[in-house]
Amino acid sequence: MERIGITLTVNGAAYERSVEPRRLLSDFLRDDLRLTGTHVGCEHGVCGACTVLLDGDSVRSCLTFAVQCDGASVRTVEGLGEIGALDPLQESFRKHHALQCGFCTPGMLMTAMDLLAKYPLSTDDEIREGLSGNLCRCTGYVNIVNAIREAAGARGTDKA
Amino acid sequence: MKPPAFSYFAPETVEEATARLAEYGDDAKLIAGGQSLVPMMNFRLVSPAALIDIRKIAPPDAIEESGGHVRIGALTRHRALETSPLIAHRIPVLAAAMGHVAHLAIRNRGTIGGSLCHADPAAELPAIAVLLDARIHAARRGGVRTVDAGAFFEGALWTALEDDEIVTHIDFPLLPPGAGWGFHEFARRHGDFGLAGAAVTVSGSAGRASEVRIALLGVGETPVRAHAAEDLLTGSGFEPDEIAAAAAAVRDGLDPTDDLHASADYRRHLAGVLAERALADAWGRAANGAS
Amino acid sequence: MSSQAAGAADVARPGIVGARVQRREDPRLLTGRGAYVDDRKADGTVHVAFCRSDRAHARIARIDTAEARQAPGVLGVFTAGDIDAVARPIRATSNMPDYRATELEPLARTKVRYVGEPVVAVVAENRYLAEDAAGLVSVDYDPLPGVTDPESALEDRALLHDEAGTNIIAAREFARGDVDGAMADAAIIVEDRFRIRRKTPSAIENRTCLAEFEAGRQALTLHASTQVPGLLRDALAEIFDLPGRRLRVVAPDVGGGFGAKASLYPEEVVVCALTMRLGRPVKWTSDRMEDLTATTQAFDEIVRAKLALEPDGRIVALDADVIGDVGAYSIYPWTASLEPVQVVSFLPGPYRVQNYRGRVRAVATSKAPMGPYRGVGRPISTFVMERLVDMAARRLAMDPAELRARNLVRDDEFPYKSGSGIVWDRSGFQECLSSALDRFGYAQRRTEQAAARNEGRLVGIGIASYAELTGIGSRISAAPGMPINTGTERATIEIDSTGAVTAAFGIASHGQGLETTLAQIVAEELGVRVEDVEIIHGDSAAVPHSTGTYASRSTVLAGGAATLSARALRKQAIEAASYILEAADTDIEMRDGIISVAGTDSSITLRELARAFYSEMRRIPKEARESLELSASATYDPFFGTTTGATHVAEVEIDPQTFGVTVRNYVVAEDCGRIVNPMIVDGQVHGGVAQGIGAALYEEVIHDENGQILTGSFVDYVVPSAAEIPDMAVIHLETESPSTLGGYRGMGEGGTIGAPAAIANAVADALSACNAQINELPITPDRLFRLIRDVEPREGESKNET
Repeated sequence: MERIGITLTVNGAAYERSVEPRRLLSDFLRDDLRLTGTHVGCEHGVCGACTVLLDGDSVRSCLTFAVQCDGASVRTVEGLGEIGALDPLQESFRKHHALQCGFCTPGMLMTAMDLLAKYPLSTDDEIREGLSGNLCRCTGYVNIVNAIREAAGARGTDKA
Repeated sequence: MKPPAFSYFAPETVEEATARLAEYGDDAKLIAGGQSLVPMMNFRLVSPAALIDIRKIAPPDAIEESGGHVRIGALTRHRALETSPLIAHRIPVLAAAMGHVAHLAIRNRGTIGGSLCHADPAAELPAIAVLLDARIHAARRGGVRTVDAGAFFEGALWTALEDDEIVTHIDFPLLPPGAGWGFHEFARRHGDFGLAGAAVTVSGSAGRASEVRIALLGVGETPVRAHAAEDLLTGSGFEPDEIAAAAAAVRDGLDPTDDLHASADYRRHLAGVLAERALADAWGRAANGAS
Repeated sequence: MSSQAAGAADVARPGIVGARVQRREDPRLLTGRGAYVDDRKADGTVHVAFCRSDRAHARIARIDTAEARQAPGVLGVFTAGDIDAVARPIRATSNMPDYRATELEPLARTKVRYVGEPVVAVVAENRYLAEDAAGLVSVDYDPLPGVTDPESALEDRALLHDEAGTNIIAAREFARGDVDGAMADAAIIVEDRFRIRRKTPSAIENRTCLAEFEAGRQALTLHASTQVPGLLRDALAEIFDLPGRRLRVVAPDVGGGFGAKASLYPEEVVVCALTMRLGRPVKWTSDRMEDLTATTQAFDEIVRAKLALEPDGRIVALDADVIGDVGAYSIYPWTASLEPVQVVSFLPGPYRVQNYRGRVRAVATSKAPMGPYRGVGRPISTFVMERLVDMAARRLAMDPAELRARNLVRDDEFPYKSGSGIVWDRSGFQECLSSALDRFGYAQRRTEQAAARNEGRLVGIGIASYAELTGIGSRISAAPGMPINTGTERATIEIDSTGAVTAAFGIASHGQGLETTLAQIVAEELGVRVEDVEIIHGDSAAVPHSTGTYASRSTVLAGGAATLSARALRKQAIEAASYILEAADTDIEMRDGIISVAGTDSSITLRELARAFYSEMRRIPKEARESLELSASATYDPFFGTTTGATHVAEVEIDPQTFGVTVRNYVVAEDCGRIVNPMIVDGQVHGGVAQGIGAALYEEVIHDENGQILTGSFVDYVVPSAAEIPDMAVIHLETESPSTLGGYRGMGEGGTIGAPAAIANAVADALSACNAQINELPITPDRLFRLIRDVEPREGESKNET
């Protein structure tokens, strides 16, 4: 079976691995690196649960082959805050009860990180449209929007 | 839903890529962003023997103006189109269409070349290419050629590209100064492919339309121009009844099929509605010389 | 905003129960440190891919596995006989008359009955290789006549289950009073044929199971993304003839269920059988296509219903005939009767209906089995009844809110026995209606609506009131005639030698935040801090018997068990402390984990008590140490259960040209009894409403006439995103239940029960000028287009609502 060597950094740590070309980045992260915070929900790019940051941009790890990430930098939910030292976005999710079963949450967080970096998010409609590529079945999105609205506001304060 | 095995190549030049294509023929697939190809592979709807990753062969996000058109490198990502000041200024209808393209994570990866070559009849970029008569440049071993967008899309997920050809860049003509534009699309869920969509550009002078273009997406095997409706409006004052008659002509010129998301009749109706809205927007934006 | 209502509850009760306590679950789930089944990687795990039927109804002629067996990484390819050799068949039995059990084979043996049914299991070193090999299996089928349309299937021209002798695998009728007489005498009758199209719950985590067999102990452990670990343990013990002590089912973090993970599935039996055969851990992780085709589906009924009223709006009679399309098999343990029978049980709703007749037939068709889905039957019954009420209001030229007020059971009428025999205990039916309307600003919005209509805009307001039974005890079966007990839950609370408090339950939280809410109840009743309590759940080994988390039962039942066991433990802890503090029990109090003598500064911590009790043998007399336990167990049985009522009010606007429906405003007033954590209750309502909006406007499992499923992806099965779901206001009325310990009522499903009806009524209201009959869900733009196109030519003719 053909394998290809790749090197990449994930959450700041360098990895060198040999992978089958067809190995999806989602499976590479979960099974090869044991970073199981990235979840797989549909494997056709609709649900967004597997969203990670690739060189700073949010991407579907289920629509990306690990070999395409040779030389890249990947950030997963494990690269945000930690238990006891949550990232402000994670804190906002907790405060607003923006998660229930938690399965879509890593993808929501990584998408929100990218939205916060790229868009003003000055209206709820903008937040909702920004989140529309991430399906959640538990929360009805109300509290996720609340959490991101607060994170967007705090971001403005930081810059000021 | 795991993709089947394939051999992987990441050539660094167009020549290497086209050589690989020549070697594998229709057993090879090019991958750029992969946002359409990988789902099909995960469903095992396509099983290429070789995947040729072209990410190394050209700088991404190449958008530049030269001689009456904007030249866009095939590997330019949707996100770059969405945020390009040049496109917002010179081809605003394309910028507007980008707001309907899926979601940020898809736009971060997907490329214009990939979208055109995938040729989904409901996708926005093929419709804009057809609307504006974009010219698609393709390379193969020993030659290059240019295909007009109108001839490029041959069917659903089917283009004029040969198995060993690779799209290198696309030229979009600039909108004429003062041209108005409109883009309307209707999807059941935000970011989904539209059930139908309409893109319009119009130039006018002295309150009369001089050049009208209407392209529709999601209502046939390929994006289509509504020539009959364009002809009706050329020279008109874009009065509401004239726009309505053009929308009726749009509807009459379509022959969509039923699918699980919409009946043919609804799609035809919707295309008329969206065309009417896009026409009205376009005329409103055009510096048409009317007071 | 909903948070204001929650804030008010905080002020009203400063205790731990009722407080907006942040969730215990969150830090691990927010940092990617949760432990879902697919995250578990046992050494040597092998993976299953199933070959599933691509035929709706066919006889299996030949299965050729030779090539697949030779494929790289394959450990084996298995068919029905391999599983049957070690597993007894699954039959969901019921003592309900007119019920016919159907055998559910883990792998199809002679026939396939729906597209997606598992036929062959391929085991390989990883899922990629397993799928490669599965593609090499070939199955030849002899086609059998289709049994796709439920109304045609009633005629039994082709049988799905020959041994049943009919496709009608369950039937029932409820009757009270003289329906025909009342109908004959009534001033007006409104009627229609209603249809709600099939849904699938679509938890974002696909179903996953991992079976491990420990050869030394001959013990089987199944990690499964299930809501019902105890129920699975008991079922698998029968199927594999293993004692419970050698069979453990664990539901770790579970990524949503909504009923889809509340049944025993063929795949779970297969991985258990194969781990014993192969001696390797065997994992199956569903992909989304498998989930959308082979997980239980729901909300698939055709209802013909008729409502009769007096001129003053008083409801006098209701008559309904229900056909439930229950799919290919009767699922274990709920049976195929679960949803359709609920439809007729709950059709009279929270209204006084003196004369009622409801007839139901559950018909087998070649589709995935119907199973429980959030709301079970009541989203359909509420849709039908609430549409009828609105249609009647229109005929009577009465405001639909007023018509509801006149018919909802009043406070002085509880307990009220409904038309189908359900007894509603004291609940705020009228108050839910008035509170929801007040919050919505009903009168003002009706004025604004009139103005909008004058501008040609299609704005509509819809109301839906309903009542459900929650937290049901042993007297009522969760599904008709089911031979298992779902009416009790048990809790064991222990203080260990370090002073730590651990409370073990049989329920299985999968998003509901029960680790937090049960810790709140234990902390309040025991007298410790919430953070001092560890909650064990989702593990069949934690308690001798349990079923799990479904049917809006866990707060009521597990909360009751927590209360009883915490009180018993507190009593014993205080008695043990009395020896150390040298005070009478009655003078000792326990709060925040400190045990003290009232009015003195004499106190000890729980840790000191535990050390004294377990380790410092001289501080408490031997007799006391032997008679006391720092541990208590209790079982709670609410016996009947309790009532949960609510009113939803929705405002929609329809684009008159594209027919897109936008939900502009949404208010829920619900009576969930005493609230444990208002933040969590809000979240349950939000999520339920979102699923109800999905059912009303977006979601539909579609089969073609040959039974092929067309909605095998999230592109085609349209789950709403954040852009389609509005903000919503939630008002909690806390009418403490008179029937449950603690006054709790269940509320996890209600959002999904009310929303389809409220949206349907709002859409119908928006279209009232054109007489469009809203009688089918989901209301897609295409359906609205065709409805209005077909209606408009006749506009101006008199077309009444009957």
